[in-house]
Amino acid sequence: MGGLGLTLNTAKDALLSQRLAIDVVSHNIANVNTPGYTRQTPVLEANDPALYAGMVMGRGVSVDQILRNSNTLIETSLQQRKSDLSATEEEEVYMKVLESLFNESSDGSLSAQLSEFWNAWHDLANNPSGLPERTILYEKGALLSQAFGDLSGNLSQLDQELNLSIGGGVGKINELLAGIADLNPQIVSLQSMGNANDLLDKRNNLVTELSEYLDVRTFEQEDGNLTVTTGSGYTLVSHSEVYSLEFDAGRIKWESSGTTHADITDTITGGKMGGWLEVRDVIAPQYKSELDELAKSIVWEVNGIHTQGAGLKKYEDTLTASYGVGEGNAATDLANTALDFRDGIGTGSFNIWVYDNAGNVVGGGPKTVSIFAGPGGTSLEDLIASIDGPDLAAGEVDGKLVLTPSAGYSFAFSDDTSHVLTALGINTFFTGSDARSMGMNAALNADKSLIAAGRMDSAGEMAVGDNSNALAMTKLQYRPVSMSRYEYERGEADPVEIEVDDTIENYLYSLVASIGTRSQSTSRAREYNEVIVNKLTDTRNNLSAVSLDEEMTNLIKYQQAYMAAAKLISTVDEMYQALLDTKQT
Amino acid sequence: MRIANQSIYDGITARLITTSDALQKANEIVSSGKRINHLSDDPVGLVQVLGLRSALSNMSQIQRNIGTGRTWLNGGETALESVKELISDAKVLGLQMANGTVSAAEREGAAEQVNGILEQIVSLANTQVNGQYVFSGTKTDVKPFEISYTAEDPTGVDYLGNGNPFTIEIGKDMDVPVGHDGEAVFGDVFQNLIDLRDALKNNDVDGISRSIPKLDVDFGRVINTVSEIGAREVRLDVKEKIIADLNLSYEERKSELEDADMLEAISELRATETAYEAALSSSAQVMRMSLLDYL
Repeated sequence: MGGLGLTLNTAKDALLSQRLAIDVVSHNIANVNTPGYTRQTPVLEANDPALYAGMVMGRGVSVDQILRNSNTLIETSLQQRKSDLSATEEEEVYMKVLESLFNESSDGSLSAQLSEFWNAWHDLANNPSGLPERTILYEKGALLSQAFGDLSGNLSQLDQELNLSIGGGVGKINELLAGIADLNPQIVSLQSMGNANDLLDKRNNLVTELSEYLDVRTFEQEDGNLTVTTGSGYTLVSHSEVYSLEFDAGRIKWESSGTTHADITDTITGGKMGGWLEVRDVIAPQYKSELDELAKSIVWEVNGIHTQGAGLKKYEDTLTASYGVGEGNAATDLANTALDFRDGIGTGSFNIWVYDNAGNVVGGGPKTVSIFAGPGGTSLEDLIASIDGPDLAAGEVDGKLVLTPSAGYSFAFSDDTSHVLTALGINTFFTGSDARSMGMNAALNADKSLIAAGRMDSAGEMAVGDNSNALAMTKLQYRPVSMSRYEYERGEADPVEIEVDDTIENYLYSLVASIGTRSQSTSRAREYNEVIVNKLTDTRNNLSAVSLDEEMTNLIKYQQAYMAAAKLISTVDEMYQALLDTKQT
Repeated sequence: MRIANQSIYDGITARLITTSDALQKANEIVSSGKRINHLSDDPVGLVQVLGLRSALSNMSQIQRNIGTGRTWLNGGETALESVKELISDAKVLGLQMANGTVSAAEREGAAEQVNGILEQIVSLANTQVNGQYVFSGTKTDVKPFEISYTAEDPTGVDYLGNGNPFTIEIGKDMDVPVGHDGEAVFGDVFQNLIDLRDALKNNDVDGISRSIPKLDVDFGRVINTVSEIGAREVRLDVKEKIIADLNLSYEERKSELEDADMLEAISELRATETAYEAALSSSAQVMRMSLLDYL
């Protein structure tokens, strides 16, 4: 075929191709705001020429393919960076929460409470017989305990919230994996027919969203199948197969096709999951442990001084220890029982003074109870046996030492070199052994005059103006105490313990500073990742996203070509007419 | 370079977020007047602030302790100043009565006077500060000196306090006794006065003369205690002065660390406001532009 037929055919192809190009342009314009949409370009190509009348003639145009303007390298690195960004974003959010929990600018802050607690001991030292001073000191102690308890509770709540987020994250991940596995066969079949551009975008979006939850790697096969694995290589999607994750007792498990489950919790470093796990397993545990260490040290040190002293009154009622040795441990040497402070007990002794109803020391002097620490050392039963007497009965309830004076009799303590009273919780100020359990000794609550501002003299007398124990307590604020700091690492069950000798306040300040410093560096890491993600997003968008100006230009370009092709047809039509007219005349 | 519409929108959003974040920070500083509003604003500075805050709280506590100490010392000092006078009176009386020209009746009368002096001194030795006995060691609830009488005459004075003076803390590792071991302060003064009185009553000139040097010793001991109290008061004054100076410099340091330089903060706020406004207006202009307007 040749002649006018050829021209008409060329014009028809041109009309079709330009209209197709306009279709592509309109698809682009329509999707200008669709997230993750990749701009498509019609690739116009001249048709193969044919030999006509001894000449090689061009035969017009056709749309060879519709190109997806995408760069896999940029897309993958963008996904990885978004994964890092999501991790640091979540860490930052939780660091801000931790910061506000440990807010030190308010009057209710731990450091302010601590200062007031020391000051209350000063005031008691200034007026050791004053009841108001004792009541205030008791209240300050209770407020300090409560501040520790509140913080501890808030940290536990944070842990629960994190587990909820992680559980929800696992659900979301499984949903996304299923979506990707669904798209894989559809893309393979569409790709064989022409292009799967829009489905590729859709799948890419799912992978991007997935990498915001988890660090993943992807491999695209020739046929269009996408394999997804975790950052450490556990397959998540292959063809239409999904290997989903499971959240079980705080751990993330990977289910292979069989019944085997692998614990992959510690291998997840990226995405929101990576951020949440870092906060849950590394950041928050450090602060929780250090807060507990601080509370424990305050309880131990304050009680250690308190047990050396005596109040304005002696103990007149049944006194129950605050710490128990644990079930079945009554005959075990104290160092091997469940006592919270068992490690603090040393070989030594303490004195018990018993007073008759006239207030005279029974037996003319104290009963000295010796403690031997170590294997085969003093057990609770041994202790009970050496204390128990006609005027002061010693016994055990739930593994706790119980002392009961005869009617009208009373008792007091002095000179404990073994720290066993502190470890048992007898004649102590605080109870508990960590931030959550810290509280006030119930005996003091019942009678504030039992607060030990002074100490027994060698005759078993307590002068009301004796403030030696309170003065020892005020010195505690300046004295270095041996404590531990902790560092947690993912995948390590136990933290690294670092011994420090510092005052109680300085330990608290270091704790607070480390939260501030970590929050600061997390924010910087987030900013850094954000800059990179923004740059890469810009690069990706400049290549792959729609520019309306460009599309409008293209629209006019194709419109004019279309109009020209139409003109071509009418011209050929006129030419046909001219030819037909010649025949008639 | 090809710029996608998305890039333009993203860029505008990102810039507006950055500038409004800076504006919010600047505003927070101006409205709170503080440079450090969150732990992460300056962790190192904050730790210093916390240390200073605690030191300041401790200082005001020590100032309170010093106040308590001063009350105690003053109480003791005032009493001892009078005791000093009274001992001196007794001595002068003794000297007068040791004169050979004095009659037995006059000595009898002087004995009554000595009884009075003794009772006054005991009453001074039982001085209380805020309801607590200054001269009874740490047995601050026990009246330290008790007179026993035979007929109308005091025949002995018992000490019921203990030997540990009441002590306060005026600084790290610095405890100062502000109360007194009454026995150590008053020594044999009561017995010496009783001896003098007996000698006067018995018209025993030698006995009277023997009492004088003993009273001198008592006088000297009281003077010593008074000057010791004076020295402790000086210690308290010095400590208070040091604290007042430190207090000022710590407050200054704390303010330097945590308070915002208002001039700087406000000009920073103005600058961020301007940047924000500029970003807003340029964004509005860029967003409005499109080829569509010209087709």
